[in-house]
Amino acid sequence: MSRFYLHQKTANGIIEDPDGTEVVDLTAARHEAILAARQLLANAILAGVAPLGTAFHIADETGQVLLEVPFRDALPPGFISTNE
Amino acid sequence: MPHPTQSFVRNGLLSVIDAAAYAVIGPHLEPVDLPKGTVLIEAGEPFTHAHFFNSGIGSIVVSTPDSQRVEAGIFGRDGLSGFGSLLGVDQCPQTTMVQVEGEGYRVSIEALRTACRQSDSLRETLLRYVHVFISQTSYTSLSNVSQSVEGRLARWLLMCHDRVTGDDIALTHEFLSIMLAVQRPSVTTALHMIEGYGFIKARRSNITIVDRDALIDFADGMYGTPEAEYRRLIGPFG
Repeated sequence: MSRFYLHQKTANGIIEDPDGTEVVDLTAARHEAILAARQLLANAILAGVAPLGTAFHIADETGQVLLEVPFRDALPPGFISTNE
Repeated sequence: MPHPTQSFVRNGLLSVIDAAAYAVIGPHLEPVDLPKGTVLIEAGEPFTHAHFFNSGIGSIVVSTPDSQRVEAGIFGRDGLSGFGSLLGVDQCPQTTMVQVEGEGYRVSIEALRTACRQSDSLRETLLRYVHVFISQTSYTSLSNVSQSVEGRLARWLLMCHDRVTGDDIALTHEFLSIMLAVQRPSVTTALHMIEGYGFIKARRSNITIVDRDALIDFADGMYGTPEAEYRRLIGPFG
């Protein structure tokens, strides 16, 4: 198990993940990021506003960014206008 | 065995009952520490004691078979754990745990039931508390379906603020995400937004309430009714 941090990229900078999450590997961390992005997007849609963030930066304990996960990757295939 | 005098107890239920009612329950109160994470009642297992809190916060949680959890209600010095015993049961499907450390008194279920048979005033006060707790869970369910994560978080922070001393609430985002049954980044984002409005200061594992009145407005009517029921039916709250 390793600790990964899901920092959120927004138009006004990064929202830091202070605690991180223990998962087996980067693939599992990406899965967490996808689930989290879906919820953030869903909450924004329900509220009728643009989501604050646009992507997660998955970082390790040293702060190094290992992977960027754009929120659009969290949308189901064929979701409205994602291919336009 | 020495037991606490009524003027010494800070639990809201034990301090409002009349002296005759306290004389019945007081001798059965055993002082206990309530460390964070202590499970007071395990779902589906018989429990033997009720706990009257003087400080700290207890949380009643329900889980799906695959361990998705959500908090059904909280209590602190306003209440007690194991109030199902007052209704004649000795096990329940929810888990009760200590979420913010504190201290209080435990009393065996048999002693509590006997005391309630001996004192109408004690029994009536405790049953009114059960009503208030049901009011709280009713509003939690309304909040869960009608409010944004930020609104739910605001309400929940107010409920914690009522039950701690001072303005700091020591909780991690992970813990908040379990309590609100949302992904952790949703909590981080909601805290960021509420902090941006100037209502709180969020630091690692600590949240400071900065503008309580603004948080109450932001909670949009979802906070306040159960708390008013407590004041109407039992006594001072918060």
